[in-house]
Amino acid sequence: MSLTKWRGSLVRTGIAGLLAATALGCKEPYEERPDPTAAVYADFGQRIDAYVKLRDSLASNMGALDETKSQAEIAARATTLATLIQRARDSAKQGDIFTPEFATVTVTLIKTEYKQEIDSVVEQRDDAQEELPNFVPAVNMLYPTTYPLATFPATLLKLLPALPTDKIEYRIVTHYLILRDVEANLIIDVIPNAVP
Amino acid sequence: MNTRTRIRLAVLAALWSAPLAAQQTQTTTATASLALPKRANSVRFLVIGDAGTGDKVQNETAAQMFNYYKLFPFTFAILLGDNIYGASRPQDFAKKFEQPYKALLDAKVEFNAALGNHDDPNQKFYKPFNLGGQRYRTFKKGNVRFFVLDSNYMDPEQVAWLEKELAASGSDWKIAYFHHPMYTTARRGPEIELRKILEPVFVKYGVDVVFTGHEHIYERIYPQQGIHYFVAGGSAKLRPGDTRPGKVTEVGFAEDRSFMLVEIAGNDLFFQAISRTGKTVDKGTIRRKVGAAPSTVSATKPAAKPPAKPTGTAAPRPDA
Repeated sequence: MSLTKWRGSLVRTGIAGLLAATALGCKEPYEERPDPTAAVYADFGQRIDAYVKLRDSLASNMGALDETKSQAEIAARATTLATLIQRARDSAKQGDIFTPEFATVTVTLIKTEYKQEIDSVVEQRDDAQEELPNFVPAVNMLYPTTYPLATFPATLLKLLPALPTDKIEYRIVTHYLILRDVEANLIIDVIPNAVP
Repeated sequence: MNTRTRIRLAVLAALWSAPLAAQQTQTTTATASLALPKRANSVRFLVIGDAGTGDKVQNETAAQMFNYYKLFPFTFAILLGDNIYGASRPQDFAKKFEQPYKALLDAKVEFNAALGNHDDPNQKFYKPFNLGGQRYRTFKKGNVRFFVLDSNYMDPEQVAWLEKELAASGSDWKIAYFHHPMYTTARRGPEIELRKILEPVFVKYGVDVVFTGHEHIYERIYPQQGIHYFVAGGSAKLRPGDTRPGKVTEVGFAEDRSFMLVEIAGNDLFFQAISRTGKTVDKGTIRRKVGAAPSTVSATKPAAKPPAKPTGTAAPRPDA
């Protein structure tokens, strides 16, 4: 390599180095981008809290239900609580708790999770629906008392936002994801076509 | 098809189903034959699964339980879920639980239920089921700690609770029971998701024995990672022939309804599985692992099969 070529090469390398250094220097310091689902889940949490506050205030008027030998007493309390909640939320509609944003995030999550599961697990999840007669769940509807509650897939449950499970739970009814008030046996929101 | 052919087919069908019908209506008068040692101060209990139909066979099986109670006065029973099928009205609790088990309830046998997929979770408030208002709980009898789980809804909160309780448990024996089987050869198959979550916890904290129902049969599974599994979901409902003894199942029984009796004394757990008619369909002893020594089971298979050789803990984990 001639001296001229060597100098040219050195200059080019230097310029490239300077440009790279400048580029690095100009780069914004790394900032953790907010998780886009965080706001959706935070909003969902607030809606759950609001529901729990409402149903707890209604339940508190009925007094605590301790263990009892009387199934009649348990059933009467469930019916009364359900009626009170239905009245208090008579204008409730699909999406009030499962907002469209939450539904989008959750449906994507569920469908992705299903795709990752092995066939035998998916088949088993289908089997869990086998004993469930075909009914269309709706907001403010009582879960039919003679129907079983399909077992919720344990690995999927780990991925969904936590609920106060003594009061509210997720369930799957065919292709619907539902929110169910446990003690009142009341469906409080639904997402259609959430489950493959 | 002409009338004569129809009649012939009807007669054939009647003849074919006659033995089954006879079995269905057979009375529970077989002589109870106890295979448990009745050691002093032992922990004794009854295992019932998938029983809440309120039909004739549930009542007959319950009568057989009481026959055995007279020979082996157990103090409590564990219910493996599907305690009340269908409607959960007060009259259903009477028909599907209080009446069939009246003799046992009158004898002050304490029932400890787990919830099944057919059970209204509000059963946790039903005092005779002793759930204490909780979906899952733990209780202790003698040297045995029981962990009652809700396998219908295995949320992370429940798993965290289980880990905490197992870690705090100083009991000699750790027994978990819940509805869905982690190992079975029956038609619906094992709950693989549940196994993925619970098995590492059971292994880590040394759970000895697991009882489950859901499948309407009796099955004793070869020990899996040192844990002994029983499926006992045939106390009223039945799926005839729905068990495949082999790589996973050491003993299976699906010809009639069944229940189990268990006795724990020191490091030995004695078990006996009994049919609705009083026949012993499986029996044996599980010796608990102590220190480095592995847990073992020795059992005598009924019928004409040769006795099972003692089995260690290292049975291969099945893919099924």
